[in-house]
Order: sequence, then structure tokens, then C-alpha cells
Amino acid sequence: MTAVLNRIREVAVVRRNNRSDWVLFGTMLALSAFGLLMIYSATRTSGTFSMERQMIFVAAGLIIYTVTSHIDYREYRGILPMAGVIILVLLVAVFFFPPVNDVNRWIPLGFFNLQPAEFAKVVVIVALASLLAPAASRDELLSGPRTLSWGRVATAVTLVVVPGVLILREPDLGTALVFGFILFALLFVAGASWRQMATLFTVVVVGVAAVLRFDLLSEYQMDRIRVLFEPEKVDPQGIGYQIAQSKSAIGSGQLLGRGFLAPDSMTAFQYVPEQETDFIFTAVAEQFGFVGGVFVLVAFALIVWRLLVIATNARDRFGALIAVGIAAMMVFHVFVNIGMVIGIMPVTGLPLPFLSQGGSFYMAMTLSLGLANSIWLMRTPVPGENQLT
Amino acid sequence: MKFAVRLSILGMAFIVMFSIIGLRLWFVQVAEGPAIAQAAEEQTWLVETTHASRGDIYDRNNNLLVTSRLVPAVFVDRTFVQPEEKTSLIQRLSSILAMDPRALETSYDEAGTNGRFQVATVDSEVAYQITEQLGNLPGVEIVKVPERVYLSGDTMAHVIGHLGLPDATDLEERDGLDPTVRIGKLGVEKFYDDVLQGTSGTHEYRVRQGEIIEERPAIAPVPGSSLILTTDSELQQVVELALAEGIALSNDVKAIDEADGEEVFSETKRAAAVVLDPQTFEVLALASVPDFDPQVFVTGIDDETFSALNDSFAFNNLAVSGLYPPASTFKAITYTAIQEENLPFPSDIEGVDAANRMIHCDGQLELPNLNDGSQQVKPDWYAPNNKGWLDIHGALEQSCNVFFWSLGLGTWQNRETVGENVIQDWAKDLGYGSETGIDLANEAAGIVPTRELFEEWAEYQRENPDEPPRLDNSRLNPELVSPWFGGDLMDFAIGQGAFTATPLQAAVSYAILANGGMVMEPRVVDKIIGPDGEVIEDLSSPVVREVAISDRVHDELMQDLNRVVTTGTAAKAFEDFGPGLELVGGKTGTGQTSKTKDNHAWFMGLAPIDDPKYVVAVIIEEGGSGGGIAAPVGRHILQYLMGNEPTPIIAGQKAD
Repeated sequence: MTAVLNRIREVAVVRRNNRSDWVLFGTMLALSAFGLLMIYSATRTSGTFSMERQMIFVAAGLIIYTVTSHIDYREYRGILPMAGVIILVLLVAVFFFPPVNDVNRWIPLGFFNLQPAEFAKVVVIVALASLLAPAASRDELLSGPRTLSWGRVATAVTLVVVPGVLILREPDLGTALVFGFILFALLFVAGASWRQMATLFTVVVVGVAAVLRFDLLSEYQMDRIRVLFEPEKVDPQGIGYQIAQSKSAIGSGQLLGRGFLAPDSMTAFQYVPEQETDFIFTAVAEQFGFVGGVFVLVAFALIVWRLLVIATNARDRFGALIAVGIAAMMVFHVFVNIGMVIGIMPVTGLPLPFLSQGGSFYMAMTLSLGLANSIWLMRTPVPGENQLT
Repeated sequence: MKFAVRLSILGMAFIVMFSIIGLRLWFVQVAEGPAIAQAAEEQTWLVETTHASRGDIYDRNNNLLVTSRLVPAVFVDRTFVQPEEKTSLIQRLSSILAMDPRALETSYDEAGTNGRFQVATVDSEVAYQITEQLGNLPGVEIVKVPERVYLSGDTMAHVIGHLGLPDATDLEERDGLDPTVRIGKLGVEKFYDDVLQGTSGTHEYRVRQGEIIEERPAIAPVPGSSLILTTDSELQQVVELALAEGIALSNDVKAIDEADGEEVFSETKRAAAVVLDPQTFEVLALASVPDFDPQVFVTGIDDETFSALNDSFAFNNLAVSGLYPPASTFKAITYTAIQEENLPFPSDIEGVDAANRMIHCDGQLELPNLNDGSQQVKPDWYAPNNKGWLDIHGALEQSCNVFFWSLGLGTWQNRETVGENVIQDWAKDLGYGSETGIDLANEAAGIVPTRELFEEWAEYQRENPDEPPRLDNSRLNPELVSPWFGGDLMDFAIGQGAFTATPLQAAVSYAILANGGMVMEPRVVDKIIGPDGEVIEDLSSPVVREVAISDRVHDELMQDLNRVVTTGTAAKAFEDFGPGLELVGGKTGTGQTSKTKDNHAWFMGLAPIDDPKYVVAVIIEEGGSGGGIAAPVGRHILQYLMGNEPTPIIAGQKAD
């Protein structure tokens, strides 16, 4: 224990001349607080239990953020293989616990259920960044070609596919798709050629075609895609019902919303299934209307903007790629989640960062922003260090 | 490409993604928002429906036949059941009601999230037991619901009908039908369903967490209207009993015939009768045997019992949907046509005295070569004995086939001048070949065969060789001029061949003959009475059209129909009629359908002949001879109608 604490002290470089990214932190904090209010509004008829529980996760998440912010992100390169092994073991372990609602996503720990897939996203981002940022000398980097070898691309794909397949088996289509999006974003930014991108894209298209052709998706996953195109045909009480209710709630928010805790709202009647988790945005849109929804979008845009600023200011390519990966993850979550709620994306079960109820997801999100803050804090090389851009 | 450039491209992609979300959000919330908000507002209101009490049914003497009483029923309203309470609720409730918990769970799930459904009607003891435990049974309510009571039992079952839950077809055909409310499936319960049904009441409210937070004023249900039938319960019982006895008589006679070595094909099981007022076309009685008790559809009927009843034709109202050859009962119509149209006698055959309009009824008719494939010698299978020379009056009295055949032949020979369909036109004028328009469902139209119809059938049959044939294939021979023969017209003249009609049509045709030509639509419902007892609608049938029948022909026909029961084919059956026989008319009929089935026994009755008030049609399906089996049944009914003490139903003479 002391050894670990010493190590943390060792790597926790206090940077007096660099200040934390307060915009990033402030926006995250605002969204989290707003999320608590939304969870309360969506579950208040059943008491404050859900909100209180989420408050604990928010507290834990803020601690994680603070600790991660002050750990030199470059230290993770060394523990990556171990982290990879641990996360794979956890991803396999979920299958040994009884399924909840027919899916194996969680490891029950008593006080909360751990969802390894959420943390796997962070590990995979760091691993990809490490792989795609050449650990080479400064001279090499400045003069050498900015290209990626086919072997490196293949390794990157493997890094994503192995946990991706395990997660798809849980099944959790949404999270598996996040991995794909991160991979594409990172390969592109890391300098993959158009041919490499095109090849990969072709492989994915063929793969998706094969999945559809050979019925590799479970019936419920297919339904969730089908319901997008023919909502009245696929199970009206199930997914279609959920989407219809969700759209009613959002639509009735109109421009300014029905007001926070409005007594006759659909949120108050709990008419939107799973509102406090994946459909939390409906609570925002109904109570605060289009204006409220846009505020939330702007908050996410702020976070993504900060992440991209961090990426451009990172001291090395490793940090830059981590920040880009995190940005891609955020964008994809926001796009797919809100897209699902307003009926332009399939119901994939991706939660909305900082707003949706859920412990593992919230903590994984603060972990990633902590990581980004660490990259920000490390941006100016300390005297005697090499500055790599 | 530099890192910064690639990063910018990615950033732009992100901006595009956010913009798509923002635009879509604008569309859903601001552009479409008001409409969606309106719909969402309505969605939060729950509707509890209170079913209206169904209207009562009375007979013509205001005897209550069918009513509804309120019985306690157990309902579950899922709005007031928390998800975690579901299992224990289903367990407790199913044990109290002694029902299968799985069945209860199925109804529970089908009711939907905020659904309310009726579990069962219960007796007051169980209702009390549940009321005491309501604290332990969330969402459970005891509500009084109307339940149908058939005081008349199986009497008049086919007129009254029965109820049942709407099936897929009903739901498709009728808008706004509640799939949980029983509707009429037969009889006036079906025909007047929208009148009897009433309007459901509604109570709208909003619930949060199992508590009503807001309600709109409740709308009380409007009870259905009541019906006063034209039928008379007492007469109906007499008719139904007489039919049952007629069936028994038929089976007794068959047993004797079989012992005598005669061919008997099957047990007699079915019969039907109609008593009609020829002046108003009110149906005074209408019976079909076998019947059923409509109450079984209220208390619940198992599949086995239902199938058994269904297979026995108990749900078929044979009086309006059973099709039979009218046989010799139709001779009264041919008689009228001959008289009114002065139809010609045939030439070139023996046994015809055209000058005196007489035919030699010796049991067979020798035909000239009609060169169309029809038979050369037609034997009168039922009157083989020589009755000597008969004019039209004697021919009707004795039901002489040869006479009416001859006139059919004469019409055929002179079809150029008198018109080929002259007899068919009379049949159609008197109601054959089309629905009478009675206020009962599933009425059959029957068939009046003509050359046109046969040619249509033949053409259809040539084009669709795989479908069951309606004509004998020999008639499709292309060398024939037509599939319609002179023999077909001759058979039509005695009510045989492809000719079919319902007992109700037969009654209607006699009613028109009896009242001198007035055509109306027969009715089983006289009046519709509102919930407050006021007459909403008087359904008296207007005269739809008139058939020109001269007084002379009418009076002669009445006299000749009287001769049938005094000295003719029904004389033996009417021996014990009692006083007033001189006021009664009748006509027997024996319908042939196939060589492997017993004949249908018909009797048509009419009284009093000077001012007809009753027309009676009786058919005992595959019952034997009209004079022997059906005439005694008709006589029994006429005795009752004419105020005589009805005497036992014993066999009359075996006559056509």
C-alpha cells in the first residue's frame, strides 16, 4: 500500500505553472449536477433513491477525475499490457454471472454492479494511442514520413476487435460500435492513408453485410434496427412503444419546455420507459424544451472543443491521440444517444455522458476527462524534457 | 496531410454530427411540437368504460322473454398495481376465484400497462369474500355488470338468438366495437344489436403512482332499447311441440315402413315451421328444430357442447335459411298462374281434354318427342293410381302431378306466345328466388330455375370444371340447343327440379295469395321501445308492391285449398279437426331431393279462408309424405289457432 502511494506521489507532478482545464471541469460538473436533477425528476414518484445513488457515483467520479488529473498520463504506457489483461479477464468474467434482463453486462460487487465494457473503452483508447503514436526519437519524428504501416493498422484493428467481440457477445451492440468509431477517428488522425481507411471501411461494410446475411445479430438487435424504418410493425409495446413515448415527451417540451417538475408531464407520470438511464435526454427536452436541449448540446460541444484543444497542445503524439479518442467517444455517445431518443438512430442502449444514471459509465467518463486534464497539465515540457508535438 | 489538418477535418465531422442532432431536435420540438404535445396530453388520460345494460325483449303480448340483470364481476385495474405486486396479486386472486393463474396472467399482460380488464363474474358470496380482502388485492374492484337472462329458455331460440364475443370479422366490419363486450350473434340479438346495445358510459381520469389526481365528469351509460316481438310465446310453444311430435311421428312411420320392407334412409331430425299473419306479415311463430338454450352462451359453453350443437344444425334457423324443393305446395302458385294467364293445354298427347280443360290423371304422362333429351314417359311416382279425369280444382285437391306437368308441357309447347318464364315470373312475384327481407340474419334466397339461369350455370361449369357441378354433365353436351329442357319446366310446375325455397318463402307466397296480392316484408319485431317505455319505432311493414290476382281466382283457390283438407290429400290428417273445418285451407307437399334421401314432408295451412288471418308453413326435413307426416302437424297448429282443442298428432294418409 505504501509502495503504491509512493508511486502515485512520484508520478503526480505538481505543475505550478500550468493550471487545470477549468472549462472542461466546470462543464463536466454542471452536466453532472444537471443530470442529478434530471434523474430526480424522472424517478421522484418512486422516491429519491435513484438520485442519491447517482450522487455517490458523482462523488466517486470526481475523486477519480482529480486523482487521474495528477497522474502523468505517460506512465500508463508501462502498465498497458497489464491493464489490457485485467480488462479482458473482466470482459470474460461477465459471462459467469447470472444475466440481468437476458444480458451479461455486469459483475455484481454488492454495493454496485461493475460494467467492464465502460472501462474497456478508456483502456482501448490509451492502447490505440500508444500503438499509433510512434515511440521514436524527436529527429525521427520531425523528418520521417508520417505514415502508418499496414501492420500497425492491423494491430490497431485487433486491439479493437478482441474486446469488441466479447462486448458484442454480452450483447451490447452500442458499446461495440463506440469502439469502431474510436478506431476510425484515431486511425484517421494518426495518419492512415486514404487507401488504408478505404480498405478498412470496405472490410466493415462486408462484415456488416455478412452479419445481416448470416443472422449473427440476435433477434432483438435486428428489431431495434428494423423499428427505425417501420416503427408501427415491430412490437408496439416494446421498443416501438419506447420510441413513441420518447418522441411524445420531447415533442411536448416544445420551445421552452413544460418547466422543471411540471406535474402533468410525461416525465412526472413516468411514461417513458428507462427514462433515468438511456432516455434521460427526454427529461431535459420535455421540461426545458428545445432551449434546454440545445444548452446540453452546447455543453457537450464545449467539452469536445476542449478535448481537441488539449489534443493540439499535448506535449506528445500519445497524449494528443488519447485526447482525440476521448473526444470521439464523447461525440459518438452524444450523437447515438440523443439520435436514438429523437428517433434517427436505432435503440442501441448507449447512455448519455454525465446525465444518464449508471455508476460504471459515469466513472469511466470522469476517468477519461481526468486523463485529458492530465494531458493538459503536462502540455508544456518541464525544463530538460524534450518537447514533442 | 498534417496532424492539425486531420484534426480539423475530424472536428468538422463532429460539428456536422452535432448539427444533425440540433436540427432534428428543432423539427421534433418546435416544428412538430404542438401537435405532439396535444397527443401526449390526451395520452395521460385513462378511460374507464361502464357498459350499458342491453335492452329487453318481449313477445307480442308483452311477456318478458329476455332481460339483463346486474351481477358482481371482478375487475383488475393495472394502473393501481405496482409491478412488484403483480405475482402475489395473480396468485391470491386466482386462488380465491379457483381459476388457472396462468390464464389470469395472460389476461393481465394483454391488458397493457394501464389496462383494466374483467376477470370473471362471481356470485355474491365470492364478491363479499373479495370485498373483505380488497386491502390485500391492489387494483381489484368489484363492479356490477349486466348479464343476459333468457327467461324463455330454448323457446323461440332462433328468433331471439344469442350473444358472443365479437370475432375478427365483427371487429373489422363494425367500428368502435369493444372486443370485451358480447354482441348478438344470431336472431334479433344480432339483427337489432345496435338498438339493443346502448351506449357505454365513460369515466376519464389521470393517475400518478396509483392515485387519481384529476378526473373529468363521468358520462353515464345509456341503456339499450327494448324490442317487442310479433311472435306469441304460447303459440310458439305449441308449434315447437308439434314439430317435435311430427319428428317422432315420422320416425315411428319410418320404423313401420322399414318393417314392411320399404326403403328408409335416415332418422328424421330436423323440422321448421312459420306462422304468418297474411294481412300484416307479422311472424306469429317461427321455429326450427333442433334448437338450443341461449343462456349457455352467458354461463359459458365448452367446445365439445358447442361442436355437438353446431353439427346438429341447432344454430341454423331452418325456417329462413333452410332450402328445400317446395314440391306440391307450389301447385297453388302454378294453379294461380294457369288460371290468371289461361295457360294452354298440351297437344299431341293422350289423356288431354283441352276443350273441357281436363287431364286424365292415370299415374303417368306420355310425352311426344320433344327432341331435347327429356323423358318420353313421366310416371307420377306418388299417385300411380288412376284418379280419372280431373279439372284444375280436382287436380289441386288430389295433388295430381300429371295435370300440372301437362300444363307445364302446354306452356313449353306454346312458349312463343305465352312466354317461356310465365310460371317462373309468378313464382318470383310471389316471393320465390329472393330474400323476403325479414329482420333476421342469414336469410337464404333460394333458386327459381329458368333457361337463362341454366345457361349461365352451364357456361360457368364449362369454364370452371374443377368446381362442384350444379348441372348434370350430360346437359353440357354441345349438340344440345340448350341445357334447359321442356322437362325442367314441367318439373318446375310441380315445385321440383332445381327449384328451392325456404319455409318462410312458402309462407309468404301463400300469404300473398291469401290476402289478394299484397306483398310486404315479414317482421319478427313489432316495435322498438326506448329505456323510458316510449315507442321509438313502429316497424309495421308497408305494402311493398301488389300482385294482380282476380277475386274469382282467389276465391276458387281458397275453396280448392279447403277441399284439400276436407276431401283431398290432407283429409285424413284433418278428420278430427273439429268445428270450423270449412274455414280451413291447406296443401300438402312431398319434396324429393335425391334417390338416397327420404322425402321432405310439407304442409301449408291457411285460415280462415273467408278472411285469412293465419298462414302456416310446416316442413319435416326428410320426414316422409306431406299428407302423412306434415299435415297432422299443420292441423294441430291450425286447431290451436282456430280455438279448437288440438288433437294428437297421428299419421294422415300417405299423399303427395
